Amino acid sequence: MTGNAIAMEDVRKAYGGNLVIPGLTAEIGGGQFTVILGPSGCGKSTLLNMIAGLERVTSGTIRFGRREVQDLAPKDRGCAMVFQNYALYPHMSVRNNIGYALKVAGVPKEERRKRVDTAAESVGLRGLLDRRPSELSGGQRQRVAVARAIVREPSVLLFDEPLSNLDAKLRHGMRMELTRLHDRIGATSVFVTHDQVEAMTLADKVMLLNNGEIVQYAAPSELYENPATTFVATFIGAPAMNLLAADGEGAGIRLPDGTLLTKTPFRGPVTLGIRPENIEIVPDGIPCRTVYSESLGSHSVIVAALPDGQELRIATPLGRRMTPGEALSVRFMKGAIRLFDPESGKRH
Amino acid sequence: MKHGRGGRTSSGSGTAGVKQGFYTGRWSYWTLVLPILALIAMFFYIPVALAFFWSLFLERPFGGGSEFVGFQNYDRVLSDPEFWNAMWRTLIFMAIAPTLAIGLSLILALAADRGIRISQAARNIIIWPKAVAGASIGVVFVFIFNPFLGIFAPLNEMYPGIWNPRIDGGDAFATLVVAQVWNGIPFNFIILLSGLQAIPDGLAKAAAMDGSGPWRRIVDLQLPLLTPQLFLTFVLEFVGTVVEAFGLIDTMTQGGPGGATNLLIYKIYVDGFKAYDLSGAATQTALLMMFVIAMVILQFRLERFVKYER
Ligand SMILES: Nc1ncnc2c1ncn2[C@@H]1O[C@H](COP(=O)(O)OP(=O)(O)OP(=O)(O)O)[C@@H](O)[C@H]1O
Ligand SMILES: [Mg+2]
Repeated sequence: MTGNAIAMEDVRKAYGGNLVIPGLTAEIGGGQFTVILGPSGCGKSTLLNMIAGLERVTSGTIRFGRREVQDLAPKDRGCAMVFQNYALYPHMSVRNNIGYALKVAGVPKEERRKRVDTAAESVGLRGLLDRRPSELSGGQRQRVAVARAIVREPSVLLFDEPLSNLDAKLRHGMRMELTRLHDRIGATSVFVTHDQVEAMTLADKVMLLNNGEIVQYAAPSELYENPATTFVATFIGAPAMNLLAADGEGAGIRLPDGTLLTKTPFRGPVTLGIRPENIEIVPDGIPCRTVYSESLGSHSVIVAALPDGQELRIATPLGRRMTPGEALSVRFMKGAIRLFDPESGKRH
Repeated sequence: MKHGRGGRTSSGSGTAGVKQGFYTGRWSYWTLVLPILALIAMFFYIPVALAFFWSLFLERPFGGGSEFVGFQNYDRVLSDPEFWNAMWRTLIFMAIAPTLAIGLSLILALAADRGIRISQAARNIIIWPKAVAGASIGVVFVFIFNPFLGIFAPLNEMYPGIWNPRIDGGDAFATLVVAQVWNGIPFNFIILLSGLQAIPDGLAKAAAMDGSGPWRRIVDLQLPLLTPQLFLTFVLEFVGTVVEAFGLIDTMTQGGPGGATNLLIYKIYVDGFKAYDLSGAATQTALLMMFVIAMVILQFRLERFVKYER
């Protein structure tokens, strides 16, 4: 089974006079795993709730396949949702939690039992069906929430930050399981998060939002390598991309104090972007001075000051220990430099 | 986050955590509890114990010694049809008033919770009556239901004599029920509304995604999660029909007309302080207490249907 594509056309949402989503048009591919990413308060949940039918659109249309759904109740849209704080019914057993949607839909008891068993099985909940949610761990509760969402075999699966209450290890495990689950059931999955690692690992495509508007909508690798704006450049990747205020003089780009950064031809003021891992430490490059360095196990991050005082984050393989004040010289790798307009922040 | 809130009002599950509270010293504990214990003892346990004690004696109305008579007083009271009439009225009152007081409060609370965002003002208006003492409510209702001045006055003009609580026993009883219910609504409303608002928002959303409409959510979600608060109001309302009703009867009907509103609690008062049948009053008090205790025990057996999980 392949899920429906979701098409949004000029979708707006206002709370009172506060325009949270000022007109959003996008298509989410059927059967794809799409992640909606963005900083807190940018309207991710609002957008997801409008897709789900939990919030009304102020204007615009939402289509599942060819069906217009923006005026339908949640239950008539054929989608299911997993919530951040699980939202399990505390007074029902795990079995009844998972089976509640089927019960409401009037599915006969025997079939209900079978389908609940299948759903529980597929998320590894065997043997816990008679417990109450209060008797489960966070990870187990999350599994119940997922089972409850897939039991109706929805064509659209929505997730609102479902992993943010879990610890790092569990989160990693659940990410893998969600990916596998998605591949198996083939529903269109829309996953909201503000965690870029989740976005990068889970998504076929990432929709990056800021202030209710799409900043970039592309594959994760595209977002990483070719950020459309300085906002994307700093939002994706940890440590974030370096953005340096610089001047192009035709044959190369220099810092305001005259230090040559690169021979990339450009003319005029520019914001030069370079990822920390694309900076090499070389004997005779751009001179700078170590400000701070930290070891992250797999690599270390050095913060260095350029001659004009701008800071540069450098990721190097382990083994290089720098003490503050120590001089070093670096080079920007070829082809890794991204240039942005300093006014608009847009990519050149 | 609303997690971990509300809930543990249960007699059983609460006790374990008490010792870990803020007050560690045994001494400070007792200083805090003692005043209230003294008051309860002085105005409840001691009088009740005395009532049981006196119910075994025959007391002379104008002094001059008492005589131990064993269960003779009980014999006398239990064979008096007036006692059974009063008991029967008490039972009917107990069945009707709490049901209405909780039912109406529940409807109000559900409506208030359901985004029919009632303004602060509206909420205050529902709650204010709580500031009025039972006896004053009685006085107010005497005016409201006055056949010639009150809300039913126009009705009486059209159909003379259709409403007159001073003559018609049924009307008087209805008036008493209305006053009692009106008196109970504010408190029940606050308790039930706060219970409803403590139910996490996400649950309603999850249920909506599961295809459950607003009405069904009331039955499947809100009522089960509200059982602790419903239980609390139920027990308090029930006790209130005995305790608070007295003030209302005394100011509104004095048990009349023709004894139609003579509930047991009022009969005891009349027998004891107007007719000076002290032994009879003590005996009926003992019987009423036993009845109330039995009912409360019964209610706490119902507690196993209460869902404290949140
Ligand atoms: N019911 C509401 N009434 C008024 N404003 C609201 C309401 N719900 C959300 N908003 C506003 O809409 C904006 C977007 O909220 P939303 O919950 O969609 O953010 P989000 O991207 O999900 O953030 P987070 O990552 O913190 O969950 C916020 O500025 C918020 O204050
Ligand atoms: Mg959100």
